[in-house]
Amino acid sequence: MKKLLQSLFILLFVATSAMAQERTITGTVTSKEDKLPIPGVSVKVKGTKSGTVTGSNGKYSVQVPAGATELEFSYLGFEKLSKAITGSSVDVVLAPDSKVLTEVVVTALGIKRQASSLGYATQIVKGDEVAQKSDPNLLNTLQGKVTGVNITSSSGAPGSSTNINIRGVTSFNGNNQPLIVVDGIIFNNSVDNTQNTLFGSQPSGRLSDVDPESIATINVLKGPAASVLYGSRASAGVIVITTKDGSGMKGKTEVTFSSSLNLQNASYLPEFQNEYGQGTQNNFVENSTNSWGPKFGTMPTVTTSYGGVMPYQAYPNNIKDFYKQGSILQNSLNISGGDKDKNFVVNLGSTLQNGIIDRSKYQRHNVQVGGNTKLRNGIKLGGTITYVKSFTTNTIAGNGGSAFGQITRIPRSFDLSGGQYKNDIGNSIYFLPGQNHPKWSLENEYLDNRVDRVFGNTSISYDIADWINVAYRVTADVYQDDKNAINRLGAARNPGGLLGESGILRGEYNGDLLINMKKNNIFTEGLNASLLLGQNINQRTLRASEVVAEGLVIPGFDNVSNGTVFTNSSATRELRRLVGHYAQLSLDYKSYLFMELSGRADMSSTLPTNKNTYFYPSVAVSFVPTEVFDIKSDVLSYLKIRGNVARVGRDADPYLLNSVYVKSAYGNNTAAINFPMSIGGNSIPGFGASTRIGSLDLGPEFVTSYEGGFNVGLLKSRVSIDFTYFDTRSTNQIFNVAVSNSSGYDTRTTNIGEMRNRGIELQLNATPLKTSDFSWDVSMNFTRIRNKVLSIDEGVDNAPIAGNAFVGINPSIKVGYPYGVIISTANARTPNGELLVNGLTGAFAPGVPNSVVMSPQKDYTLGISNRFTYKGLTLSALFDINKGGQIYSFGQTDMRGGGQIAMTAKDRDQPRILPGVIANPDGSYRPNNIQVSAQTYWAGLGGLASEGAVFDATSYRLREVGLAYSLPAKLLTKTPFGQVSLGFSARNLWLFAPGFPQDPETNSSGAGNIQGVDFNGMPSTKNYGFNLKVTF
Amino acid sequence: MKYIRVNKILSFCAIAALALSTSSCKKFLDVNDTPNNPLAVPPNVALPGAIVGSAFANNNELNRFGSVLIDVTASAAGSPARWDRYNTDGDDFGNQWRFEIYDGALVNYKKIIENEGKYQSPVYSGISKIMMAYTFGMATDCWGDIPYSDALKGNGATQPKLDTQKDIYLGSAGVQSLFDLVKDGMKDLDKKGLLIPKTDDVVYGGDIVKWKKAGNTLLLKLALQISLVEPAKAKAIIDEVLGSADSYIKNNNENLEVKFGASVGSRSPVYEYTRISSFRTDQLISTRFLNKLQLTNDPRLTAFITKPGANYVTVDNGFAGTVPGFDTRSQFGNYVTGVNGEGPVRLVSNWQRAFILAEAALRLGTAGDAQALYTEGITASMQSAGVSNTDIAAFLTANPTIATLSGNNEAKIKQIIDQKYISLVGNGFEQWTDWRRTGYPDLPAHQNAVGIDGTRPVRLQYITQEIQRNPNFKTGILPNVKVWWDVN
Repeated sequence: MKKLLQSLFILLFVATSAMAQERTITGTVTSKEDKLPIPGVSVKVKGTKSGTVTGSNGKYSVQVPAGATELEFSYLGFEKLSKAITGSSVDVVLAPDSKVLTEVVVTALGIKRQASSLGYATQIVKGDEVAQKSDPNLLNTLQGKVTGVNITSSSGAPGSSTNINIRGVTSFNGNNQPLIVVDGIIFNNSVDNTQNTLFGSQPSGRLSDVDPESIATINVLKGPAASVLYGSRASAGVIVITTKDGSGMKGKTEVTFSSSLNLQNASYLPEFQNEYGQGTQNNFVENSTNSWGPKFGTMPTVTTSYGGVMPYQAYPNNIKDFYKQGSILQNSLNISGGDKDKNFVVNLGSTLQNGIIDRSKYQRHNVQVGGNTKLRNGIKLGGTITYVKSFTTNTIAGNGGSAFGQITRIPRSFDLSGGQYKNDIGNSIYFLPGQNHPKWSLENEYLDNRVDRVFGNTSISYDIADWINVAYRVTADVYQDDKNAINRLGAARNPGGLLGESGILRGEYNGDLLINMKKNNIFTEGLNASLLLGQNINQRTLRASEVVAEGLVIPGFDNVSNGTVFTNSSATRELRRLVGHYAQLSLDYKSYLFMELSGRADMSSTLPTNKNTYFYPSVAVSFVPTEVFDIKSDVLSYLKIRGNVARVGRDADPYLLNSVYVKSAYGNNTAAINFPMSIGGNSIPGFGASTRIGSLDLGPEFVTSYEGGFNVGLLKSRVSIDFTYFDTRSTNQIFNVAVSNSSGYDTRTTNIGEMRNRGIELQLNATPLKTSDFSWDVSMNFTRIRNKVLSIDEGVDNAPIAGNAFVGINPSIKVGYPYGVIISTANARTPNGELLVNGLTGAFAPGVPNSVVMSPQKDYTLGISNRFTYKGLTLSALFDINKGGQIYSFGQTDMRGGGQIAMTAKDRDQPRILPGVIANPDGSYRPNNIQVSAQTYWAGLGGLASEGAVFDATSYRLREVGLAYSLPAKLLTKTPFGQVSLGFSARNLWLFAPGFPQDPETNSSGAGNIQGVDFNGMPSTKNYGFNLKVTF
Repeated sequence: MKYIRVNKILSFCAIAALALSTSSCKKFLDVNDTPNNPLAVPPNVALPGAIVGSAFANNNELNRFGSVLIDVTASAAGSPARWDRYNTDGDDFGNQWRFEIYDGALVNYKKIIENEGKYQSPVYSGISKIMMAYTFGMATDCWGDIPYSDALKGNGATQPKLDTQKDIYLGSAGVQSLFDLVKDGMKDLDKKGLLIPKTDDVVYGGDIVKWKKAGNTLLLKLALQISLVEPAKAKAIIDEVLGSADSYIKNNNENLEVKFGASVGSRSPVYEYTRISSFRTDQLISTRFLNKLQLTNDPRLTAFITKPGANYVTVDNGFAGTVPGFDTRSQFGNYVTGVNGEGPVRLVSNWQRAFILAEAALRLGTAGDAQALYTEGITASMQSAGVSNTDIAAFLTANPTIATLSGNNEAKIKQIIDQKYISLVGNGFEQWTDWRRTGYPDLPAHQNAVGIDGTRPVRLQYITQEIQRNPNFKTGILPNVKVWWDVN
């Protein structure tokens, strides 16, 4: 990496002046660290303007005037050195500088910049921080490691998507997942749901196609200032991933093989009671989903319609044994070699995961080939191509008719794991009519996903002169995602069976022209400037088609030809294009004052043709006082103050401008009609006006950000602090605003509203202890983000977020509240906030609909990682806190109201009193003193669509633990290995969630704008395993 | 030399790329016409979706609600369990209001009417106006004052104002009455046009004569609805219909009923809900309805109610104990659901017309013999349920107190509504609406009733979402507040 920086700065800091000289001094500059020559070192004759730079072999030759006594050597990343001129040869050894200064970061569009020049916050995560972390999902392994970022995995289902928001949610309706860039390739991270998110299986976010083991670095560009050059889609931040290549191999070839095997288990299941069985109000009821029946021991057997006479007893492990142990086997091979000009890389990877329930599975195989070369005429060519094949199988989930919809409604006396679950002809045997045994569901209701993906780039670059470089890069990312939805005959939600066969072909193509110019000492000594001019042509395509076969006739035959009705079949095509032009001027005054001016103008196909162009600028400034004033000391090694103002515009999704017609359909899961209908042998077509009103004068939406912060290096940079405050305003939001349905429509698309995100990011890195053998490194990441919807539309106080939602449980935007609050029925309260109880029944008074009952917004997140290294042994642990935020849980509500969880058995025979007060006729209140049964009490706390379904999602978690041992080099001298390390790693080993009986980090809706909902999904897992890494 | 050439090539490429992108940009970016959805559809494609929307609204949740409230069905779980205890609030019927009535049926009737000139399709316009009147009528009967004259304007009125139920029925300045809307539609049916419905008319298969009869019969129904508050107007309308050359529904094969299909996605809502869906266990037939039929040995019993074994198995309304299992309980019979879900959904029927005219004869003094019309109603209903004429005669003979209207007018009307109620099985909305207007049949309170004040709801509460979206809606109008025409 460092060599890469060096070669860059050769270009950046070429000195060009020449003056009258009297004698020639020559010499070599080498690095203290690796004793290798350093190219590009600036050599200046003190007191004059004359100087030169070292060549690729570290040698220099400089003419010095008579009377010159000293040479000054400076190079980024190394401490400055002055050396007296003695004789005609002066060799120097440069020592590396403190780490804060040396860091060079890859910013937007792959532009490498010195960290101190940046007027905005970015954060780098190195490859080894995400590799071998007992999880094949890259985003999961980033959790707790980056400030300003909120990452939530959706469940323990293999391959399920993970939500990531950088600096909060900035768009009411748009995609709030950051833009992902892999080796310059704009990388599609779509979550393609072909099923209703309330009821479907968890699909993957397509970033999962990147193998964490192949990653060299991840740079998180958080604010609009950092990402403005990426244009429209960068308003949600950018994650720039650079995979391993051969540029740093210094001429040799290295083979790295890494392997890991992890086991995983369903974890943090709630504690169940084992004293009372199936029934209600102390009576056995054979088709009840409740465990409010008689106490065990009071009756030996019960008679059921599904299994005859059965023992009436507790099955303490009936839920636990439903899950099995899963496994993840990951192998990867990396071959890389070459030098900074000519290099190659081959990455091979394989991940095989079996989930914690029968049939669930995730497999990924990836091959990457890449290389760079420099022709003799100076043209640089490069390219990389990756093929990924992945396969996922997951069961469907969700309320009611699914395995996970049933598992929260299993009476304690039902033998879930041991009992018979299907009969001879394969039909489900279950206690609840209309529903299926969860094991039957796992076997007969699932979704297969097969993805074939190719992505790659190719680039050409040429230095026209030493001050100007022109490059063109083409990138493409294409994948075919084939899904098979299986719902066999008898499936609860599709009693007639349903087979879905869909293909989704997504493509994204980019062409980027980049012209880089740089000039040093313009206008005045020490003022260096670089100018980037660029053009981006972008095309995104989608072709999706699905055959949906219903009314199946042959049991067990899973081909769509088995269907008799195909009316839900569909085809969708999308094409969108964007042309952007951009410029960035970077000024560097004596390496202590920096300014960057950027601007981009986009023309988008998705906006009305007469107003499809929009421009957005940014300015970022950074100042390094420690380079100017004499305040640098052993205590204060480095100080940088930075600030920026930036704006990013975003276009609309395609095809929002017109009001259209859609195929008519009515109903929900109680009854449904889909056109064309088949009536009396005739196929009857039906189209009706779409419920959305289009907008012919739609404009772009904007995010404007103000950001300030500082970086401090203390105690010889043993401690470094990076602090950022930001305030982001999202305006002119493209949103489908709700209209009164009596207008004939449900929403209208328009530009409205304003939303604010304010936040603090604090990153602290320290090395409290360091000896020659031992070191202890700590890094802390603190994030606090406050999101607030400031306005929506005139007369509109709230609106549902696009997506699937249950009636009366609406994830929404509401003025004055954070994005994504759930509007449902709140408990009635007195003006003082006490719960109001019905004076006749002792139950809560009727609730207040349309109330905000839940907010997913966290108070803060804090990740603390410790790393202890002793010789070859490294112990690391990541502990994180997610404080605050709420979760809306069907599962917990089910199990509490159903009398399954342990607390409902405590003193069950004793009457209880719901907390609250009763209104007196005179308007005063008296404490509730009405006794109710335990069942009435626990059920009375609230049902699915009530405030009672809301829980605090605070969690304290030992997220990662790793122990690695690198064999001493001398042991390996006689082996072919360059490096061998063995390790143990684990995830989720310990969790404390005071407000929620399970793991609160879950989200049934997957990655997307609806967060904090647990609508009967799969539990999270605890993973642990062994790792091996060898290099040849 | 070599360097210069490379320079030139690169510069040329750069300039070419820039030039190309600016000159052809406009065309390059002009790709935003959706290939996925039509921007316009002809009326023969829009009409079925709209009509099915009206039928779906009537037959799905409104029927489920009406049937359980009016003692035809009883509850086991889910929403019927709430309604069985008279509990309903603004979270109910959102789908009906939003996606079936206004955004499914009504807006598309309006589109068809607006497009009459473009497609030269006055017949479609006429059918749409009649169905629009039926659907608006159903909506106002449920919710009272609703957006009507200001509704369905899209961006033109995103928060439409409400019209009173009185204005909707009778019309006022700027508000066309439902009666006039129907009459307008019937006039359109007479116009020549290019586009004539065939199978896409899921009611009459394009039979315009029958549509005219349906229009007239709908006028009768709407007129009777206001007969207590506006008797003169009601009488005038009925008189007009009775004198109309277009006639009215006089045969069971002229019913305004929507046909459904036998395959998934085409089946009638009541079939799908009570036979197929995972919510099918939520309700069963009420003991009260069963008793009513068994008491008189009503020959329609087997058509109306399923018999799971040796006996009919039902529970009482509001029953709180253990409900018999799904396979062992009585459900709506094939008469209501169709054998395989074909329905039909009967919106306005021949026997309903007969009962309407019987009541009108007594209440308003319109032409016709109440007794004869009453008997015609019973007979037509029984014939529709597949009862033979012999059995009908036997039933009437065996039940003289039913067969013959007796007592004062009110007592006779009670008898008429009692029979009308039975004949309207499967149309819970209409049964509930008759009960609200007349107070018949006599319905004892449900067990464990709660509601607002322990009484049966007499309107649907405005849906909370709509109140939220449209400040013109008044809040606090609870289900125990009567609508305008409900004065008894």
